[in-house]
Amino acid sequence: MLKKLFTVRNLVILLLVVALFVVSGLLGLKVPPPEVSLAAEPVLHIGGFAVTNALLTAWIVMIILVVAALITTRHYPKDLDNAKNSDLVPSGFSNFVEWMVEGFYGFSESVAGKWVTKFFPIIMTIFLFIVVSNWIGLIPGVGTIGLLEHPASGAEGFAAKGAILTAQPAASGAEGFILVPFLRAPSTDLNFTVALALVAVFMAQYFGVAAQKLGYFKKFLDLSGFKQGAFMGVIQLFVGVLELISELARIISYSFRLFGNIFAGEVLLAVLAFLIPYVVSLPFLGLELFVGFIQAFVFMMLALVFFTLSTIRHGEEEHH
Amino acid sequence: MDVEGLKAIGAALAIGLGAIGPGIGIGIIGGKAMEAMGRNPEAAGNIRTNMILAIVFAESVAIYALVIALLLKFV
Repeated sequence: MLKKLFTVRNLVILLLVVALFVVSGLLGLKVPPPEVSLAAEPVLHIGGFAVTNALLTAWIVMIILVVAALITTRHYPKDLDNAKNSDLVPSGFSNFVEWMVEGFYGFSESVAGKWVTKFFPIIMTIFLFIVVSNWIGLIPGVGTIGLLEHPASGAEGFAAKGAILTAQPAASGAEGFILVPFLRAPSTDLNFTVALALVAVFMAQYFGVAAQKLGYFKKFLDLSGFKQGAFMGVIQLFVGVLELISELARIISYSFRLFGNIFAGEVLLAVLAFLIPYVVSLPFLGLELFVGFIQAFVFMMLALVFFTLSTIRHGEEEHH
Repeated sequence: MDVEGLKAIGAALAIGLGAIGPGIGIGIIGGKAMEAMGRNPEAAGNIRTNMILAIVFAESVAIYALVIALLLKFV
């Protein structure tokens, strides 16, 4: 057991970590604790349109996904009817993607039934987009490399040594700097998560109307209770109002669940890196990988469940 | 005590107290799901997905507390 720990590889890693401590101690590089900024900062301007670092990273995520899709489907034969069996056998990366998509498709089918062909493209896109967005924030350099800028009035800045920010507060008179990173995980920007939540909630209404035509809106305005007297009628109306509120509250819970989890994770990683550098962050990076996956999966599954619920006629459960 | 300090205490109390309920809830959900899986291991996959869904609903209460905490801290 102990023998296995003392391999050459582990020794090199240990030496590297020690060397990192020594070098950063000798250079006196002490960076300030990260500025926790709730809003994404603009990094470049196209016309009058400010592009924030989260938006920039979201574009990179899209490029990654498009390239991955192209690589996956690259060697599929164009003419499927005359293709040999051996041409259709996936290998390598596309094998992995097919395995993953098939797994999710089977799972979605078990929840959504016959609607799976309609739901699956949307929820899988949401899942892949979110999971890559969550994980991209864990890459070293995302959120730590950026421009030094003067902070907005009121906030205090730090002195910079060359290109590196130091922990010393800015000298009196001179204006200090703060770091504005080029890249930032898109899920740590509320705009991103609210946009996805709006899409998910809107599509639930769309599928509801597609499945039950105008009967879908009976959920929100139910007058059938008046057949059983005025009291039941008023209660049914009130239930309709509650349904409307729960539909709107979904936007908040969808978006803040994703945002809160990923944002809190990034802050946790940043704070831990300042408690004991290099070492303590490692297990938490693993945790954040897991959390990023789970949150993407949860978002996908909630969208799937709400889509499915909206296709089922309201009150069907009570009178079979 | 200045307003900033009171705000910080308010934010900490909001998320701290708000996490108690969902914490207990998620614990109960997880425990019951484990019990069910132990009794009926064949249904483990189905139970797990439903467990995650239930956990998410319990968690969203904590998310509302987080929203309040963030509002207090940053807005």
